[in-house]
Amino acid sequence: MADQLIPDLEEPTSLSAVPAEERSARSPVARIAARAGLVVLKRSVLLATLLAVVFIGVELLPGDAASATSERGESTADVDRRRETLGLDRPVLERFWDWMSGLPTGDLGTSAQGEHVTGLLTSAFPNTLVLSGSALLLTAALSLSLASGAALRPGGRLDRIVTGMSTAVFAVPEFVVAVVLVLVLSLWTGWLPAVTLTDGDGSPASWTMLVLPALALTVPQTGWNTRIARAALADEARAPYVEAAVLDGLSPRRVVLLHVLPGALPTIATGLATSSGVLLGGAVAVETIFNHPGIGAVLASAIADRDTPVIAGVTVLAGAAISVVLLMADLLRDLLTVGQR
Amino acid sequence: MDLTRRQLLWAGAALTAATVLTACGSGGDAEPNGSADDTSAKPRKGGTLRVGALGRASAVTRDPHGTQSNESDYLILSLVHDALTVPGAKPNTAPRLAASWEPSADLKTWKFKLAKGAKFHDGSPVTAKDVVFSLKRLRATPAGASRLPGIQAKNITAQGTDTVVLVSDYANAELPLLTRLTTFVVPDGTSDEDIAKAPGTGPFKLDWFRGGNARLVRNDSWHGGTVYLDAIEVKIFESPQAMANALLAGQIDLASNAGAIAARTAKTRKDIQTVRRPNDMAMPIVMRTADGPFADTKVREALRLAVDREAMVKQVLSGYGTVANDILGTGDPAYAKSITQRTRDLAKARQLLKEAGFDTSRTYELMTTEDISGLAESATLFATQVREAGVKVKVVKQESAVFWDKTWLKGDLYTSYWGTNDSVVFFASKTMVSDSGQNEAGWQDTAFDTAYEKAIGTSDDARRTQLLREMQQIEYDSSGYLLWGMADGVDLAAAKVRGLPTLPGYGRVQLETAWLTS
Repeated sequence: MADQLIPDLEEPTSLSAVPAEERSARSPVARIAARAGLVVLKRSVLLATLLAVVFIGVELLPGDAASATSERGESTADVDRRRETLGLDRPVLERFWDWMSGLPTGDLGTSAQGEHVTGLLTSAFPNTLVLSGSALLLTAALSLSLASGAALRPGGRLDRIVTGMSTAVFAVPEFVVAVVLVLVLSLWTGWLPAVTLTDGDGSPASWTMLVLPALALTVPQTGWNTRIARAALADEARAPYVEAAVLDGLSPRRVVLLHVLPGALPTIATGLATSSGVLLGGAVAVETIFNHPGIGAVLASAIADRDTPVIAGVTVLAGAAISVVLLMADLLRDLLTVGQR
Repeated sequence: MDLTRRQLLWAGAALTAATVLTACGSGGDAEPNGSADDTSAKPRKGGTLRVGALGRASAVTRDPHGTQSNESDYLILSLVHDALTVPGAKPNTAPRLAASWEPSADLKTWKFKLAKGAKFHDGSPVTAKDVVFSLKRLRATPAGASRLPGIQAKNITAQGTDTVVLVSDYANAELPLLTRLTTFVVPDGTSDEDIAKAPGTGPFKLDWFRGGNARLVRNDSWHGGTVYLDAIEVKIFESPQAMANALLAGQIDLASNAGAIAARTAKTRKDIQTVRRPNDMAMPIVMRTADGPFADTKVREALRLAVDREAMVKQVLSGYGTVANDILGTGDPAYAKSITQRTRDLAKARQLLKEAGFDTSRTYELMTTEDISGLAESATLFATQVREAGVKVKVVKQESAVFWDKTWLKGDLYTSYWGTNDSVVFFASKTMVSDSGQNEAGWQDTAFDTAYEKAIGTSDDARRTQLLREMQQIEYDSSGYLLWGMADGVDLAAAKVRGLPTLPGYGRVQLETAWLTS
C-alpha cells in the first residue's frame, strides 16, 4: 500500500517551471516556504484521490465488513442489521464524504468492531514511526559509510565488495532477513528478544526489541541506498572542483568528505526519502514476524475484515509521514543547491 | 493478494526455520515433554504468568458480549468476567457463576441459582438482576439468537435475588451447555460506553488494557476457589510463529493454542512442555446432500471410504489429533464409541460409485480457505486420496470473506471447521436438523429430526443415551459430513507452568487453576 504513495520522485524538477527571474527575486526562505506550501497542497490533493481509491477499492473486494466480521451463528438478517449499524447500506460516495468530513477534526471514524480508529492507531502508529525511523537512520549511516569507504579507492577491494554485496543484499526480501535474524541472534544465541512485547503504555517493553525488526528493514534498504550513494559519489568525483582538490594534494579522505559528499547529498537524500516509503511498506511484513505493535499488523487484518475506516486511517497517516519525509528531502536539496542557482 | 503471498512465503520460511531448529536439537524426540497434569507437586501461590494469545490488532474488542474474533480478547474477558457455566470434563458442563440449575419437568423452564458470595470486583454483590441484564444484553447482539437459541429476551427473568429463570421456546435438555459460551455478567444498567470498564466477577481483575495486551491481577475474594497466580499478563500475537518464537526465547510462559506446527518446532526443546487438549477442533469435509453430485448417499459413503484417515491425521495435523468416525461431537460423554470405525476401502468405494452412476470423468471442485492452519492442507491431501478411488477433485482456495459469503452453506463440496466441540446435540441443533440455521450440507432427515426432538425433550438418562446413539447412527450412515479426524488443541508452555487446562475448545481459557513452580 505504502509503495503507491511515492510516485513522484521527479517532483523537484517540476518546480523549475517557475520563471528564473521570479525565483531569484525572492529570498531563499520565502522561496522555500512557498515551495513547501505548494507541495503540501499537491500532496493533499493526491492523498484525497488515494483515499477515494481506497474506499472504492475495498468496495470492489468481495464481501464487506458486516459479513467479514460476523460470527458463525449469525443469520442473513443479523448480518443485514450489522450492515445497517455500520452504515454499509449507504452509497460508497456518501460514506467517503462522511469519513472525509471528519478528517479535519482528527476523527477517523469507527472500526467494524466498534472501536474508534483514532484510538486504534494512536498507540500503533508511533511504534511504526519509531521502527521505520530508526531503520531509516541506520540505513543512512550504513549506506553513507559504505559508499564513502568504497569511494575512497574506486575499483579497490572494498569498492568491489560493497558494490557486489549491495546488489545481493537488496535482492533479499525483509522477511527472509527477519527469519535468519531471529534464528541466529535470538533463538540460538539468546542475545536479543525474538519478538516485541508491549508495556502498559503501548510501547515496546525494552529498546532491545527494536533491534531485530529495525535490522530486518535496514539490510535490504542499505543495499539500495549504498548503490545510489556510490553512483552519486562517482558522478560528483568527476566534477572539476574535485579534480582541483585532488591536484591540490588533499588526502583522499578529505576530498571525499569535504568536496565529493556535499555535492552528492541531494541525490542521496532523495534515495533515502524513497526508502521511507518502502520501509513503511516493509513494516507490514516485518511487524507480523516480530509481533511489533504497529500499523502494519492493524492494516493487514483491516484489509481481511474489509474495514474501510481503518484502512483509510492508516493510509492518511502513512501518506502524511511519507509526504513529510519527501518534503524534507526536497527542502534539503533546495538548501544545498541555493548557492549554485 | 500480496499479503497472502507474503504470508505463504513466511510460512515456508518458518517451516525451514523449524527444520533447522530440529536439526540442531539434541535428537531423541521420542522423549515425552513435561506434563501439564503433574499432580505430584503441591500448588504454590505467587508469580506472574505471561500468556501469548492470538489476535488481530484491528479486531480488538472490549465488549464481553461483542464479536470476539480474537483469542486474546476472549481470554481476557473470561478471566475478568464469569459465565453462568463453564466447560467441564464429565459432565461437560460445570458450574461457575451459577452454582446449580434445575429444569422443569417439560425441560422448558430452567432455574439457575447463583453462587453464594459472588461479588463484583468493586465489592458489590452479584444479583439475579445483574445476570438478567447481561443475558438480555447478550441476546440483543446481532448473534444473540444463536448465542441463546430458543430463549427470547422477555423470557429471561429474575426470581428473588439469587435465581435466574430462562424459559425456552422448546424443550431443551442441554440449555446449561449453551450458557457456557459468552454469558459474561456485568452490573445491571452498564452503558455501552462504560462496558470496557465494567467490573467483572471473575478470578482476575483488570489492571490495564492496551491494544489487545492486558495485565490482570488476582481477585482475592473470588467465589470460585483459590487462585494461585498473582497476575496474568496477556500478550496479543498476530502469528502463531511469532508466538512460538516468544516462548522459545523465554519472553512468555504459555503460548495458548499455538498449534501443531509450533509444537513440532518446539519438540526438541526439553524445557518446553506440550499440552494437548484432545477433541478440540473438527475440520469436516461437507458434501451437499440436498442436490448436486453428492446428493446420493452411496456417493457420500464412497468418499467416506476413500479417505485415509490415519494419513490425514499424521500429515495434516502432524499427528496432533485422532481419527474420527464421521460423527460430530466427539468430546461428548454420550459419544457412541460402539459404532464401527470406518476405515479405508477403495474397492467398496469404487463399487458404490458405480452403483450410484457417479460421473467419474468430471472434475469436482473442493472449496477451502486458509482461515486455520491445516484446513487447506486437508483439502489437498483429501483430493489426492480420493483420486485413488477414481474421483477427480480440484482444490480451490478462497479468501476467507469470499468463502463465508459464497461457499459456506451453499457449496457442493467444501471444508468447514468447528472449534466449539460441544456435544452431539449441539452440532445436531446447529448444523443437522432440517430447520437449523447453519445446515452446512442442506441435510434433511425425518428420522434424525424425530430422534433429536425426543433426545432434547428427555430427562431420563438411559432413554436419552439411547436416543443420542440413534442420532449418531443416522449421522454416521447418511449425513453430509465426512469427519476424518479431530485436531488436538496444542498449547506450549515453559517447564515451570503447572495446572494448565486440558479441556478442548473454550476450556483452554480456564487459567485460574494454573500456578508456577519456584
